[in-house]
Amino acid sequence: MQYCDMSYLLLFLPLVMLFYSLVTKEKRWIVLLVSSYLFFYLLSGKLLVYLVLSTFSIHHFGLWLHDVEQVGKKAMEEAAKEEKKRIRESMNKRKRNVLILGIFVQIGMLSLVKYLPFFCFNINQLFEFIGVNFRIKQYHFLAPIGISFYTLMALSYLIDVYRGKCIADKNLGRLALYLAFFPQIMEGPIARYHETALKLYEGEKLHYQTVCFGMQRILFGLLKKMVIADRLNIIVENIFSNYATYNGGILFLGIIFYTIELYMDFSGVMDVVIGSAEIFNIALPENFRQPFFSKSISDFWSRWHITLGTWFKEYIFYPISLSKGSKKMTSALRKKMGNHFGPLCAGSIALLCVWLLNGLWHGAGYHYIFFGIYHFTFILLGNVLEPLFLKFYQITKLNRESKSIHIVRILKTTVIVFFGELFFKAPTLRIGFIMFKRIFATFTFKSFTDGFILKLGLDGRDFIILGVTLFLLFLISILHEKNISLREEISKKPIYIRWLCYYVLLFYIIIFGAYGAGYIPVDPMYANF
Amino acid sequence: MKQLLTILESIKPGVDYENCITLIDEHHLDSLSILSLVAEIEDEFDVVIPTVEIIPANFNSAESIMNLITRLQEEE
Repeated sequence: MQYCDMSYLLLFLPLVMLFYSLVTKEKRWIVLLVSSYLFFYLLSGKLLVYLVLSTFSIHHFGLWLHDVEQVGKKAMEEAAKEEKKRIRESMNKRKRNVLILGIFVQIGMLSLVKYLPFFCFNINQLFEFIGVNFRIKQYHFLAPIGISFYTLMALSYLIDVYRGKCIADKNLGRLALYLAFFPQIMEGPIARYHETALKLYEGEKLHYQTVCFGMQRILFGLLKKMVIADRLNIIVENIFSNYATYNGGILFLGIIFYTIELYMDFSGVMDVVIGSAEIFNIALPENFRQPFFSKSISDFWSRWHITLGTWFKEYIFYPISLSKGSKKMTSALRKKMGNHFGPLCAGSIALLCVWLLNGLWHGAGYHYIFFGIYHFTFILLGNVLEPLFLKFYQITKLNRESKSIHIVRILKTTVIVFFGELFFKAPTLRIGFIMFKRIFATFTFKSFTDGFILKLGLDGRDFIILGVTLFLLFLISILHEKNISLREEISKKPIYIRWLCYYVLLFYIIIFGAYGAGYIPVDPMYANF
Repeated sequence: MKQLLTILESIKPGVDYENCITLIDEHHLDSLSILSLVAEIEDEFDVVIPTVEIIPANFNSAESIMNLITRLQEEE
């Protein structure tokens, strides 16, 4: 069962809504928790045990941190002034040790199922290279769906408790629901404890408006997923599977189509996810904000998979770049190199760690690590060259904020993103480089004009549907970029116009959706990370 | 406050720091500017800004930054 399957939309979700409405306010969280565990069981079977173990461990470590702090605070209250400092230091040290142990358990579980084969393979390669006749036996464990997402949520909870940003939750059920809430367990968004936990537990009744808004959002997501992503999947799989037989023009088209497919699939699923939560009056954090209007790679990552970027920024980037050593480095370099290049050094070290981990988080493979380094390089280049760009605009008297310059910058960023996604999608790094080389070595515009693209799995009708739908979505994105919410605008219209819009959307998906014979829906790509 | 405004102006000139309340939200201060700002504030005001305090709400305006500094000074 996936979020865009009819079994989820027409059976699972309505049943949860029904049971949720039937029970009393105090028991609604139990309905959500049971349905979340059932949803996870239907997806991952016995691997549910990982989620249960993770929840128990996080609950335990949270309370442990709380206890250490309480004991320390009590001791400080009774101690003399000089003694307080020593007690605080000792308390902080104990808290840090508990946190490290808690993180170790979480990362350990994730590594066991996700990174152990990759690690063993590389060690064995190293042994072979240096001539050691010993091989580590490779174990393969099945990874439960969404483990990378709930692990990050679990870690954020633990670190927030450590930092005193949230209080350790004694209620195991509430914590379990925060980690397992069924709309987000597969592909995020990565919510923080304070953003959803209390609201989920509250069990507010279903409201007509939030149910309507939720359903509209789900329909909008289905439009992206079923009309575009699932349609493009045919041509993308064809091109990437037979890359050796196609010329550079077709391969370039392949990476453009894949980038559109990935965006429409992931952001479409996010609409279904956020819409499902909205039905229960739960506001999940947004994961996308018109990423293809980005003027730089740095800007792109503040608009694409936002909750992942925020997680890395809060729990990796700032802790590294604001550590004692980094602060000293920044202060010293600022005096010598100025305000721009001074903080760049510490910032870049932290950024490199972020992107290495970001690449690895997406999967255990060198092409994912390369994907991370690729984006790090462009962000670093952007930072290093910024003074030069400023000088260039000053000398040429070009207005950086003019529409034409914006369009050029957006196009440049989009092309960089296209090539990044090539390495992301390629099965291995080697194949990624072969495809990259082929694009430039065998590129010809003839591929676009000789009608060959109509032989790749989609016919003229498919391309017209894609073109019209993408154009409509582009117009909606322009409105969103201007902070105009189409949904709110429609909600102000008379009832017959509103329902006309909903029916048009519904029938558009039913008529033009890519499902049934000849179409293969996109696998939930992010669920496997 | 004057001291803080001078620091902000030295880190990224050309922003109306006295009135702007969206320094982070509108990307006037990026991650690198925050690193400079934290280092400079810690030197000038003799406080330690913990990572947990690096949130948009604390850095969106000169006033909120000043409130953060005052709170940290009081806590120490």
